[in-house]
Order: sequence, then structure tokens, then C-alpha cells
Amino acid sequence: MTALGTTERVAFDFEGLVRAHQSMVFSLAYHFLHDREAAEEVAQEVFLALHRNLARIQSPEHAGFWLRKVAVQRAIDEGRRRRRRPVVALESVAEPSVKATTRDPLLGEVLRRLIATLAEGPRAVMILRYQEDLDPAEIADILEMPLGTVKSHLQRSLSLLREKLERRGLGEI
Amino acid sequence: MDRLEEELKKALAREAPSDGFAERVAARAASAEKRVAVFPLPRWSMAVAATVLLGVGGGLAYREHRGEVAKEQVMQAMRITAVKLNHIQAHVREVRQ
Repeated sequence: MTALGTTERVAFDFEGLVRAHQSMVFSLAYHFLHDREAAEEVAQEVFLALHRNLARIQSPEHAGFWLRKVAVQRAIDEGRRRRRRPVVALESVAEPSVKATTRDPLLGEVLRRLIATLAEGPRAVMILRYQEDLDPAEIADILEMPLGTVKSHLQRSLSLLREKLERRGLGEI
Repeated sequence: MDRLEEELKKALAREAPSDGFAERVAARAASAEKRVAVFPLPRWSMAVAATVLLGVGGGLAYREHRGEVAKEQVMQAMRITAVKLNHIQAHVREVRQ
């Protein structure tokens, strides 16, 4: 664990941190907003915020935690600002013409769109759970949400997704 | 982890941003640093300056307002005096006749 101290190390480490975490930060925003352009702008803002707060970052692990937290917060803020929570109405999600297999890219897109229609709390929980592979306690820590609420969001969202998929002929999943 | 959860992991796998993302962030960070170097006053000093300006502006506006009130009072007094004088003048004329 390396503490970030001097100006030279901070400059070096900042670029290293961007490269190390760019996919994580971009994907959190992208899966939340379902818009690549908006996600890239949010991701850039998150890293610029990191640059302004480098003095407070204590370790690379702390940087990762900080970035996850700020990325989710900024994505939520951007979603509220744009008032585009239902980016795609659930009813308008394309019906598959044939039953999709688990390898079907259409299934992935349907799932991403269904996630994008969830309310912001459950959406953030689901993205942190399945994109970042975090356990409920870690998610509760990042979102500053009671553990019971995180678990409840996970259960309800999974049930809702199953129900929606079943309606679309993908109930075997 | 059941099949739906496995599919969710695949669907929500991390994706890379467009090429040159890190370079664009570095350029914006460098640009922000330059702006800070050109105008290195701390934020609190801007707040103090804004407060002083507001205070001075408010003081001037209050003084102007007080001046307007005083002017209006003088004008009102003059109007009352003129009415009284007219009244007295008319009374004197009546006595002489």
C-alpha cells in the first residue's frame, strides 16, 4: 500500500489511477445512464474531482473506493439533472423474435435496458453488485444505505427482472 | 449464483471508454491547474471580497434611499407651506376689501 505524498508522485499516480480505474468509472456511469457520451463526461468529471482531492487520498485502495462512490453519486446526479430515468420505457424494450440463448447479445442488451428502467437506488445497488461484484455490505458502505435496504433492493430487483423476462419469453433464465 | 445473476454479470461487465480517454482527462486536469496558477486566490478570499462588495453596495444604496426620503420630506413641507401662504394671502385680501 503506497501513500500518495509528494507533488511528483501525485502527478505520476494520477495518470496511473486514471488508467487503472477508467473502465470501472466509465462503466458505472454507462450502466446507470445507458448513454455512452453522458457516461464519458461523467467519468471525466469524476477523475477531475479526484485530481482536486488527491491530497486526501491515502492509498490506491482508498482511491478505488473513493472513485466508486463518487462515480455512482455523479451518475445519480446526472440522471436527475437530465430527468431521463426511464431512458427506455420497459414496454418499448425490443421483443426478441426468437427465444434468446444465454450467449445471445440481445439478452445482454435487454438486461441492460431493464436495469436502466429501475429506480435510482435499486439500479445503483444492482450495478455495484453485478458490475463490481461487491457484496451487500460493501454496497451499503458505498451508498451509505442500510444493509437491509441493499438486500431488499437486490431481491426485489431480481424478482422484477425475472417477471419482465418471463413476459418477453425469456423465462428460462 | 443462479443463471439470471450470471447473465447480469455478463451484461454489466466493465467496458472501456473511447480511445484517448486518459489523455483527455490529463489535458483537462492540466488546464484546470493552469487556471489555478493564474488566479491562485483561495476560495474563502473570493467569498470575503463578494461580502465586502455587497456590503459597500448595500450601504451606498441605503444612503441614496435616505437622501430620496429626505428630499421628498422637504418637498412635502414646501407644498404645505405654499398652501398655507395661499390661504393667508386670500384671507388678507378679504379683510382689505
